[in-house]
Order: sequence, then C-alpha cells, then structure tokens
Amino acid sequence: MPIFSYLAIPKTEAKEKLCIELSALDHCQIMPADNQDIVVLVTDTPDESTEKRLQERLKKLQHLQSLSMAFGYDEKNDKGEQTDHET
Amino acid sequence: MMRPFWKNNSTISLHVILGVAGICLAIAATSASGREKLTDYDNQGSKIYRSYDARTRADMTSASGGRNLAEFYALRQYPGSPPRIPHKVDQSFKTGELDCLSCHEKGGYSPEYGAFAPVTPHPENSLCYQCHTPVLDEDKHFAESQWKSIEPPRLGQSSLGGSPPPIPHSLQLRENCIACHTGPAAVAEIRVSHAARGDCRQCHATVIQSEPLRIFQRK
Amino acid sequence: MKLDRRQFIKQAAISSAFATAGSLFPGISFGDWNRLAGNSALITWQKSPCRFCGTGCGLLIGVNNNRAVAVKGDPACSVNKGLCCMKGYHSVQALYGKDRLTTAKIRKNGSMVEVPIQEALDLVASKLKETREKHGKDAVAMYGSGQWTIPDGYVASKLFKGCLGTNNLEANARLCMASAVTGFMTSFGLDEPMGCYEDIDYADVFVTWGNNMAEMHPVLFSRMVANRKRRKDVTIIDFATRLTRTSQASDKSILFKPQTDLAVANAICYEIIRNGWVDSNFVGEHVSFHKGKTNIGYGTEDHFSFKDKAESIDFEEFKAFLDDYTPEKVEKISGVKAEDIKYLASLYGDPTLKVTSFWCMGMNQHTRGTWINNLVYNIHLLVGKISTPGNSPFSLTGQPSACGTVREVGTLTHKLPHGVVMNEKHRKLAAEIWDVPVTNIDPKPSNHTVAMFRALDRGDIKFMWIQVTNPMVTMPNLKRYRDGAKKDDRFIVVSDVYPTPTTDIADVILPAAMWIEQEGLYGNSERRTQHFAQIVDPPGEAMSDTWQIIEVARRLGFTKQFSWSEDDYIEKIWEEYRRFHAGPKHEMAPYQVLKARSGVQWPFVDGKETRWRFNPKYDPACTNGKDFDFYGKKNNRAWIWARPYEPAAESPDSEYNFWLNTGRVIEHWHTGSMTRRVPVLHNAVPSAYVEIHPEDAAELGVVDGEKVRIISRRGEIVMPAQIKGRGVPARGMVFVPFFDESYLINEVTLDAFCPISKQPDYKKCAVKLEKA
Repeated sequence: MPIFSYLAIPKTEAKEKLCIELSALDHCQIMPADNQDIVVLVTDTPDESTEKRLQERLKKLQHLQSLSMAFGYDEKNDKGEQTDHET
Repeated sequence: MMRPFWKNNSTISLHVILGVAGICLAIAATSASGREKLTDYDNQGSKIYRSYDARTRADMTSASGGRNLAEFYALRQYPGSPPRIPHKVDQSFKTGELDCLSCHEKGGYSPEYGAFAPVTPHPENSLCYQCHTPVLDEDKHFAESQWKSIEPPRLGQSSLGGSPPPIPHSLQLRENCIACHTGPAAVAEIRVSHAARGDCRQCHATVIQSEPLRIFQRK
Repeated sequence: MKLDRRQFIKQAAISSAFATAGSLFPGISFGDWNRLAGNSALITWQKSPCRFCGTGCGLLIGVNNNRAVAVKGDPACSVNKGLCCMKGYHSVQALYGKDRLTTAKIRKNGSMVEVPIQEALDLVASKLKETREKHGKDAVAMYGSGQWTIPDGYVASKLFKGCLGTNNLEANARLCMASAVTGFMTSFGLDEPMGCYEDIDYADVFVTWGNNMAEMHPVLFSRMVANRKRRKDVTIIDFATRLTRTSQASDKSILFKPQTDLAVANAICYEIIRNGWVDSNFVGEHVSFHKGKTNIGYGTEDHFSFKDKAESIDFEEFKAFLDDYTPEKVEKISGVKAEDIKYLASLYGDPTLKVTSFWCMGMNQHTRGTWINNLVYNIHLLVGKISTPGNSPFSLTGQPSACGTVREVGTLTHKLPHGVVMNEKHRKLAAEIWDVPVTNIDPKPSNHTVAMFRALDRGDIKFMWIQVTNPMVTMPNLKRYRDGAKKDDRFIVVSDVYPTPTTDIADVILPAAMWIEQEGLYGNSERRTQHFAQIVDPPGEAMSDTWQIIEVARRLGFTKQFSWSEDDYIEKIWEEYRRFHAGPKHEMAPYQVLKARSGVQWPFVDGKETRWRFNPKYDPACTNGKDFDFYGKKNNRAWIWARPYEPAAESPDSEYNFWLNTGRVIEHWHTGSMTRRVPVLHNAVPSAYVEIHPEDAAELGVVDGEKVRIISRRGEIVMPAQIKGRGVPARGMVFVPFFDESYLINEVTLDAFCPISKQPDYKKCAVKLEKA
C-alpha cells in the first residue's frame, strides 16, 4: 500500500502538458502550483507491483524534467484493511 | 470497526525532506506596533509550572517524530488559527464535552489512531468544537477562495549564534509552552532539546512587536 | 463523513510536498493557503466586532499589505476576553471568495449586464421616483438587515420615513428579534436587556429556554461552562425540544413538546406561588399585573391585523389564572414530568440562588413569541431575580447589529430612531433632527416584513430595495414570495457581496463593501455599541450600503439631508443619530470614545457605562428613591402578564404527522452566503440534512445518509437523513438547518406569525415524511 508525494518539475514551458500526461495515469493525483512551474504529485497504489509499474511509466514521461520525493510511506502485510472500518 | 493500527505489524517509513524546509520566513506577527497588552497572557505563566510538575521527565523528553511542521500548518488557515481535526470525530459527543480532552488534555499514546495525542495548551476551554472543525474527505469548495495569509514564523531566530531564540508567536491561548514544545507528540521541528528545564521564559523572550524593531533611545 | 487513516497519510504526503516546495521555491502557491509572497511578516492588528452573531465578540484583525490575513480574539474586549468561535477565527476568509460581486449589474432583456455603479444608482433612483409618482408613496419599500451597520439603517430610515414619507421600511430582524422587542416593551416599556454578559460570572443557575447556545452563542456558552468548572456549584439546565450539543454539556436536559413552553412557564409561576417563594416586597413595590386579549390568531391570511388591549388585574386574579397550570395538568400538555417542573420552579424560587435565563430563536420565532417572552419575565419578577448581577432574564440576538441598527435606530415600519411613528412628539423630534417637514412622517405604520412581501406579491408594492440580507432563502412559505418578487412589473434592487438566490431575482445588483471594508458601527445583545474602522479596501466598485443610499437620496433631490462628505460621513451620521437618544435612559457614547474602545454600553452617562438597568446602584436614570426603578412604564413598575397556553398555528395530525423545526449549526451563519465561502467551515458541514429520531427513521426504513422527502401543505423537499448526528430531535419531530441554498427548507415552512410582534414561527409546522 505505498503512498508517495513528489515535486514534479516539467521541461521548459511544458507544465500543462505534463499535467495532462500525469492525469492520464492511474493512482496519481496532481496539484499544480498557481504561480510556478512545479506540480505536486501524490501516488497511491494498491501494491508493490503496481507501484513498480507506475514508477517505470513515470520515468518515461515525455514532459517531465525531474521528480523529487517529498514523502514516502509503505505499509506491508496490510491486505484488505482499508475496506472494513466502520462508518 | 477500524482495526487498531498497532496490530498491523506495519512498517512506516517517512522520508521527509524537511530539514531544508525549516519553514519559511520572518518573525511572527504578534502585535500592533507593540501596543497590545500581553500582560493577561503573560500572567498565565503558572500554567507552564503546573504542566511541568504534572508531567514526568521521561514523557517530556521522549520523541516520536510522529508529526512535522508541514502537517501542523496544513491543518491551519493562517499562523495561529485553530487547527482542524485530522481524524474521525463522533459528532454526537455522547460522553459529553470532555471527550476530546480525554486524550488531548494530557496526551499519551492512542491505539485508535496509532499516534501520540498532541496536548492542548488550553484545556480550560472544554467546548473544543467551538473553534475546531473536523476535516471531511469531501473537500470541495462551495465557491473558490482567494484567501492568502502570511508565512508562518521562521524557526531559529536567535540573535547570536546559539543564543536562545525568542518566542515568535502570540501567547494568547498558547501560554503553556510545555504542551506543544515537549513530549512525544510535539512537532519534530519545534520540540525542545531540553524539556526538563521547565522555566521556559527564563531564557526565551516574547517577540511582542512585528513592526521593524525600534531602537531604544533615552528621551 | 470521515477521514480514514489512509486519507490521513495522503494528506500528510500532500502537506509535506507543499512544505518542501515552499522551502525550495519561496512564494510558491497551491491554492489552499496561498502564502503571501515577499512579505516580511509585517502585520498590524486592528479591532473590530465579529461579522457574525449578536454576541459581538471583539476581534483583532491581522492586516498585511491591505489584506486581512489573520484573526485573534481581542483581550481588551469584555465580551469574549480573547476567545472566539470557529466562525470568528475564520471570519476574514469570508472576504475573499472568488465570486465576490465587484461590479454593478442591471437586467437588460432578461439577462444581467455589468454597468458602472453610478449608472446603476441612476437607474435605482429613477425607477424609485417613477414608481412613487405612478403608484403612490407606499408602492416603494426597503428591506434591510440586522447586519446593516448603524449608519446604514440610520440613512435608510431618514430617506424612507423622513424624506419619502413611507413607513415601508423593514429589516430581517423582524424574523429574529421582533418578539423580544414586544416582550420587552410590554413587560418593561423599554427595549433590550437590563443585564449584561457579566451576569454569567455571577449566576448559580442557568436555564436555556429553547436555545442551543453551545452552537449559536458558543463564546457565551463556553463562559458558562468555564464558570461551572471554576466555581463547581454552577448548574446548567437545558430546556428544549430536541437534544443538542447544549444538552450534552448541561447538567440536566428537559424536553418539552413544541409550543408548550407557555404552559410550563405558567406552571413554574404556579409552583412559585404555591410554595410561598414570591418575593413579596419586590412584587409589592415594583410589579403590576395585567392581562391581554386571548385567541389572538396566527396571521396566515393577507391583511391580518391585531391590536392587543391591556387590562389591569390584581395578584389574586393572576393566582386564579394560574390554577389551570398545575404541574400535573401541564405534564399532560407538555410531556414534561411534573417533578421536573417542580425542580425548575425550585431553582427559580430558592432565594439563595442567582438565576440567569437565556433564550433566542426558540422563544422569538413563536406564534406566541411575545407571550413566552412575557412569561419568562413573569418568573424572574415574581422572585425578584432581575437587574442584579447574576439574576438576569437575557434575550440573546442572532445578528451583529439586530439591536444596534434595527431596534435602536428603529428600522421597522412602526419605529423611529426615538420612539414610534404613531407618537406626535416622536415625529416632531425626528423631523427636527432630519430637517424635514413633520408632515412628511406618516403617523400610520404600513407593512411589517411578511405583510410587505405579501404586498409585493399582490402588487401593492412594486419597488423593493433589499440590502445585506437574503430573503429568497429566509422567508417562510418561500415559494409564494419568490413568485411574487419575480412578477413582471416588480422592480427589485439587491445590494450584496456574493451572488445568492436573492440576487438571482434582482433587476439591479449593487456590489457592497463588506464589514471591515468600510467604517461602521454595530450594536450587540448587551447594549454595547462597537465601532470599526475601514481596515482593508473594498474590491472593485463595491460601495458601503450607507453610501449607496446617500447616492440615491441625492439623486432624488435630498441633498440638504444627505450632505455629508465621504471623508467623515460615519462620524457625522453618528453624531446626528446620537441626538435622538440624548438623556440618561439611552445616552450613547461619543464617536471618539467608541473609536478608542472595544465597545461601549449604553446608557453611557457622565463617562460611565450602565451594566444593570433599573437598579440605582448601576443606573443613573433611576430616580424614584427605591431599590429598583422600572422607569420604562408610566407606573414605574414592571408588568406581569397573564398569558395562556394556546396551540401552534399548525400541529401534526394524522396525515402531516411530524413537527418540522428549522435552525442553524455552529459552522454556518444564517443562509451561508458568507460561511460557505470559508473553506474550513464549508468542509465541516458541506450540505444540509434532516435530523430524524432513530426510531422514526427505523419506521420509515431510512438509514443515515438516505434521502427523505419532507412534505408540507405548502411544498416539499428531498434531502439526506442524519440519524444520531450532533442533534437528535424528539420522536415525531424533524430538524433541518436552513443555511444551504440547494435545500430551500423554507418552501416547506409556514408564514404564521405572532400577532403582536409579527415575527414568523420557523420552529413549528406539520409535515409528513417519505423515503425518497
């Protein structure tokens, strides 16, 4: 159940295109800065293998200059826990 | 039922690039050209000693690293605003108004939330929901806001290298230093390294004005 | 409705990223809390009363670079002593919604077109003039607000009553405070509480009458709770029709059936007399007994009129009247156990206990609102617990200047800044101060609020100017009044700060300056007048409501009466208005004093505030040489009224089998047009719901969050159920908060009102429920 957050820096003048690319990916949530070419990316994947596949795809993004991690969290042995809490 | 987190056997890794973050700028905004009467709150210093006496040394000096300044400010709308409640609250408050205080008056570990409860600096105000609202997961705006506020106070404002930094925020409702700056629930960046000393204001002066400092001159 | 652990971690991930970005790229902003770039944390703090409720907390507004950026409680203000509630702490965020109205708009061929504000004001003036010439002086009306500043209301009264000669001037405080006013006038002959908030620090017992104070007046409620914690022997009794946060915090919660507070209050008096707890010295010296008309109707029909007639009675007659209200008889009507009634009576009756009663909308929004106000005064008067520290029957207000503007300036159809239009002496004084011929002022009241909207629907009124209020959410039986306002030859002008259902029906929208974007004064529940300076600039072409009225008045030719300069008009208006209240009974503080202090209580005599009226130890207006002087009445006595229990205008029956009760939640203020634009408050309660008792919900087959259809004889609405939420109504009652414009509960409510105060009852009508 990994959750990570990153600062994503787009290639020159490519913030909007990067946002489109990122929005198209599953498990990704983005928050572009209002006034700078920076995008906050939060990833929330169900398991390790999905996480790995996502990271591979992130590396291949056309408009991404660099990605630096701000926060990381990984919880193992955590099967099905998120569905059975009370309302 | 939510399964208690401590039974999850989970490993939590936090990589927070916050050393650099150190958070922001400048001296806190405390008062109108130094005219505010701080005395009322300044006189509440006994709270520090009562709190100091009530807590064990081990408790005050322990640390969990469970909270950092980014989370701290993410729950606020401006420096000094009442923080929102980041966890589920039973809206019916069935056991009366002291519900929140059962954890937040003295702190301690909460199995339910898998964390140490932050200690409130003003437990004498027991109607917590008067000021604190819960955070719901549906975070849509009714209408977008153009709200802006100032940067939170910068840390480490010592005048000389190594000298005790002044207190960069108003003491109003936050007279008890021990509550927020010591113990396992204290925010990592503002936890003091010397909690066992107790008489905080022996060394730390309050910054009571925010306009550019006026130099003292004899008339 | 919760944040689970995973979302919590995700939130931490987001905030960490924001913090990192902020440190690496100074000034970067992500929307939620945009950090002002390049600031040096220079912040100045200026005082203002809070924008929201009638408590009147003193705030310090932190300002940086012409923007309000922070709030703290003003330690110098005796109202709140440095503490606020969540609305106060986030109040300044209400200035910065993205959809602020910044330009004027007029309706052209069915759609709203932006125009310069001067052009819109030209249109308002010419339309007003044209309507008046064509249809008569009473075809135009103004509908204002308890959120009007004192100068707003004052210039409105001067223009409409003094210059235009129509008494078609009302304010939304009719919907919230009118019964409190008629209660004070009939019992004491003078409006507004005799006590003050300091009573909280002296009282041993608090009784909240139909009043969820923990959510509606939280700062005062927490002062009560803090007193209980500090003094140990303090008792708080919640007397209500539903369980609320106030019930949770109280020592005892007593539930009564809607409307039967009348019977219980009489039963308390019965018990006080039966047990010999009457303070006979006090009653003999300071009280007289009276009765009025009964079976007084409910005002649901057009052109309803009622005039009460007081008759004097003696104590024995009053005692005989109470024979119908033994605790045992009243238990059957009210559902309150006889022993609980006796317990309440014993608290009021015990000579060693100081008792303060608090109430607000539960007693005022009541088809017998004047009566129930009288009855609670009866209790306090019988035992002589009044006008001394801690002994206080205290009527709370819901708007920041319901007292200051509506009640004191008198922006109601029958009122003048001093006195009433029916009184020739009062008309002469007004004409003299206003510099208008006395014949201008019409001696006959015209339309109270409900009658005014009915007249708009019928077409008797064709032009209405609405300021600082949102009647297209708040009028009871709303559909009739909205349809009426939308009719073809009606012309509606709305001055407001955000788009609302009321601006939706406007022909002209005037953008208004809000709160600290203008200089102004409010008056709170405890006779405290509170000045605030202009602290930040209004956006775009937004203009203060006062100045809008002045601009229109000048266009109508009243330049002499509205000659103030924009530099100091607030000061000049205040000093002119003060002349109306000269004298020890209502002397107001001078402008410079108000400017310097965090609120000043009137009567302000010889530089001293009056904390307890009618008590010569504190009140210099007492002249009878006795220990109390109720100088508001000609006989220098307070009046006890024999007022019977009469049922509500509409009670549940076999078809419409539930009571509908409406009200507020702590997060939102009134129609939510401001608080819903505060992200924190909106997030906490994003939409309205209907509270249902768990057993009623089970019978309906509805679980929490499922949709329910609420149907009355006037309209219906579908909304989600809330079961076991913060409030739990009694069985057979549902409760709906009215802040949410997407669930217009007032299409379901009834426009019945108290025949004396003309205030509608939003707390009682009959509905049926269906699972939707």
